[in-house]
Amino acid sequence: MLEQLLIFTRGGLILWTYKELANALRGSPIDALIRSCLLEDRSALTSFQYDAPGCSYTLKWSFHNDLGLVFVAVYRKILHLLYVDELLEKVKSEFSPLFNPSKADYPDFDDTFRQLLLEAEARAEELRQANQAKSFNADGARRNASGDKRGSKSSSGLLQDGAKGDEDGGKNSKKEYISRSVESAPHHANGSTSPFNGNGSAHAGDPKVSLSSGSDEENGSTKVTEVAFNVDKLKKLKSKGGKKGASKAPLPAKDDKANKKVKVNRVWDDAPNKKLDYSNPSSNDAKETPIGDQGKSLMDAEDDDDSDLEMEEDIEVNNSKEKEIPKKKGWFSSLIQSVAGKAIIEEDDLAPALKSLRERLLVKNVAQEITDELSSSVATSLVGKKMASLTRISTTVLKAMEEALTRILTPKRSIDILRDVHTAKEQGRPYVVVFCGVNGVGKSTNLAKVAYWLMQHNVSVMMAACDTFRSGAVEQLRTHANRLQISLFQRGYEKDPAFVAKEAIREATLSKIDVVLVDTAGRMQDNEPLMRALAKLVHINNPDLVLFVGEALVGNDGVDQLMKFNQKLIDLSTSSIPRRIDGILLTKFDTVDDKVGAALSMVYKSGAPIMFLGCGQTYTDLKKLNVKSIIKSLLS
Amino acid sequence: MVSSAWKQEAELKLQNIAKDFGLPISVELYTSIAVLLITLFIFVIVARFAFKKRKSDTILLTGLSGSGKTALFYQLRDGTIHKGSVTSMEANVDRFILHSDSIKQGRTKPVRMVDFPGHMKLRAKLDEFLIQAGGIIFLVDAADFMPNVRSVAEYLYDILSKALIVKYKIPVLIVANKMDKVTAHSIDFIRKQLEKEIDKLCVTRTGISDADMTSEVLIRKEGEPFKFTHCLNKVTVTEASVTTAQLADVYQFIREQIGS
Repeated sequence: MLEQLLIFTRGGLILWTYKELANALRGSPIDALIRSCLLEDRSALTSFQYDAPGCSYTLKWSFHNDLGLVFVAVYRKILHLLYVDELLEKVKSEFSPLFNPSKADYPDFDDTFRQLLLEAEARAEELRQANQAKSFNADGARRNASGDKRGSKSSSGLLQDGAKGDEDGGKNSKKEYISRSVESAPHHANGSTSPFNGNGSAHAGDPKVSLSSGSDEENGSTKVTEVAFNVDKLKKLKSKGGKKGASKAPLPAKDDKANKKVKVNRVWDDAPNKKLDYSNPSSNDAKETPIGDQGKSLMDAEDDDDSDLEMEEDIEVNNSKEKEIPKKKGWFSSLIQSVAGKAIIEEDDLAPALKSLRERLLVKNVAQEITDELSSSVATSLVGKKMASLTRISTTVLKAMEEALTRILTPKRSIDILRDVHTAKEQGRPYVVVFCGVNGVGKSTNLAKVAYWLMQHNVSVMMAACDTFRSGAVEQLRTHANRLQISLFQRGYEKDPAFVAKEAIREATLSKIDVVLVDTAGRMQDNEPLMRALAKLVHINNPDLVLFVGEALVGNDGVDQLMKFNQKLIDLSTSSIPRRIDGILLTKFDTVDDKVGAALSMVYKSGAPIMFLGCGQTYTDLKKLNVKSIIKSLLS
Repeated sequence: MVSSAWKQEAELKLQNIAKDFGLPISVELYTSIAVLLITLFIFVIVARFAFKKRKSDTILLTGLSGSGKTALFYQLRDGTIHKGSVTSMEANVDRFILHSDSIKQGRTKPVRMVDFPGHMKLRAKLDEFLIQAGGIIFLVDAADFMPNVRSVAEYLYDILSKALIVKYKIPVLIVANKMDKVTAHSIDFIRKQLEKEIDKLCVTRTGISDADMTSEVLIRKEGEPFKFTHCLNKVTVTEASVTTAQLADVYQFIREQIGS
């Protein structure tokens, strides 16, 4: 069952929620979705998992880029609701014409949505039946019976909902549509017998919500509504003794969308005849059952057993049909459009611009998968938007990409190490930084640079030589320590680095030193024993900052390194709250010229900010990341 | 033929005028003078625009995510917070007459309100809106204050130390929101905590390189702990509750800015 469905603007105002699903969500899954997914340019994903204490949710969403609307559906993770994507799309297409920027209340949409939800659920039910029917192909009778049973069950459920909705509708009608209902009163003189009376009168005069209204099937109102059409069809089905064949009744122009999706039901030689007839012939009320069987028959699944797959395919077919309609236009009309600025951006229009942008990013040494994810995320944010006048599509795409990159590279929280050092000092303990990374990326060199920078800000520093593996590592650090006139803590080689670090921290606490910089041995990300040792070091000493030192020179491998370090720290940790990489130190930045892609790749994949840039051989060559200049070189 | 005759005539007349004033006779000279005058005129106009005294009816709503900016925006515009709000992804911008003013009759000016999202990732765009701002309302969640005090102070410091804000003396109203909640801190406490945190920031906020520091100004008086009164612009701390519409000080602030 659907937990919640929300419609809100990109500005953050909730326009509509499904009130009948009033069960409060645990935690705040919507805010979590926006903060950790949509704002991080991962909207190319299809769903988002949120784990609240007690239960976990799956969230799916859809954008209306032109109007700036977001549609989010929340449901329990354990339920695999197949109809959610379809429902979201339907809700989107129904809600968009109603949207008015100065209006924030849409009570009318309740009925429309209830209808859409029922339709979607019915379709999902059909789909399941169809699949079951296939699996029991030999046993016709059993299948038939079960189908009928399920059908009647769902129809009774629908009826209850319908009656509930009816009350709401009635209230509305009294307030807002008095004059309307007076006008349309003659149309349902016998309305009292129809449970949809209130509902019908509420909307009989309002073409916008015609989808939701359903009455008048006996007195032949001028308003032919979708539901009325369905009821007609049901009656026909009944009268023909369950013979199949969808009738294409003329529908009003408003219902065009629904009309398009009406598909002739396939007649199977051995299919259960009454499958789509959910109404219970013994009950009179069944006439009004608003079962939306105007959707495509999902029985087309002749070769497919997998319902998931089948559903996806169907949606894809649907999408591609819609895409095909706007095709290439002449250069003159495109010129006019570019001047008038009315063109709505299609996915096909974006393809060439995105392709060139992707190539440009690849040349700048951005990892392949990240380029792909980014460009599809940019595409989702642009499709459906109106283009501003006198702009080319490539400029629009470039601008969107620039914004996305700015968002990615801007750190989530502020990085002010000096502030953190002061906090630690107040608590009477040293601030511990662990440097880790693969071999030869410049851990020790940049550790010395960081020490130099800290000393300039009147912070006392101690180095801890925990690289007890490589010959000369301690001596290298000692050279730096002597040159910078700072203390070095070392216990020689062949010792457990975790305990060396622990002793160093104890020593620093005793001698009131503010910062301990822990140098570790370089290790390849796939070297399990060494990674285990690192996890142990991190776990035992619980440093304030775990810095990953990475080269700016690497391309795809840099991402792999970072992700594996991060993953190993989590996997091999023995505590319940695992540590991850807190920040990145990117070295050899002066050697890459404008190929700064590694910076983007690492930040995008790990979410950790770049805290320092090493850009030279001397102690002063340590910089802050300048987001603007990085983006400039990425997109130049 | 006609034009040359006309030209001759004009030249003759000019010569006569020049003679009267005792000036040298040359058409080129007069043209050049005319051109000079026009250029000067344009320059004056441009200069007027450029150095005009800053007057803006834009009020910028800022603060951390979840402090109630979007709610305040709609409370001011529509007099209700509708069905609540979720984390904003984009700024809400609208020009409107305050809801409380639109009910009572009389001459009221509209205000342009910008509700800027509080999420860190979007902070880069803040500068665009700061340029337009005539006044800034900085919202603080008084109920959930202590866990976030550092990030609040950092954000506030970023705004207060912007060269632009100091130069044009843009007034800042710090609003402790959600005072209706039982767990809310008092505004004296909030002010003291913020001043303390900003004081620390003044010491530590010296970046790795000085490249980014050009747009920031030191706001602390030497040798004294930081106080909001040290700022050259007007910084006031007040309390409010958006959901229960206790916004007297906010209304007052906005009216002062738009001058109605």
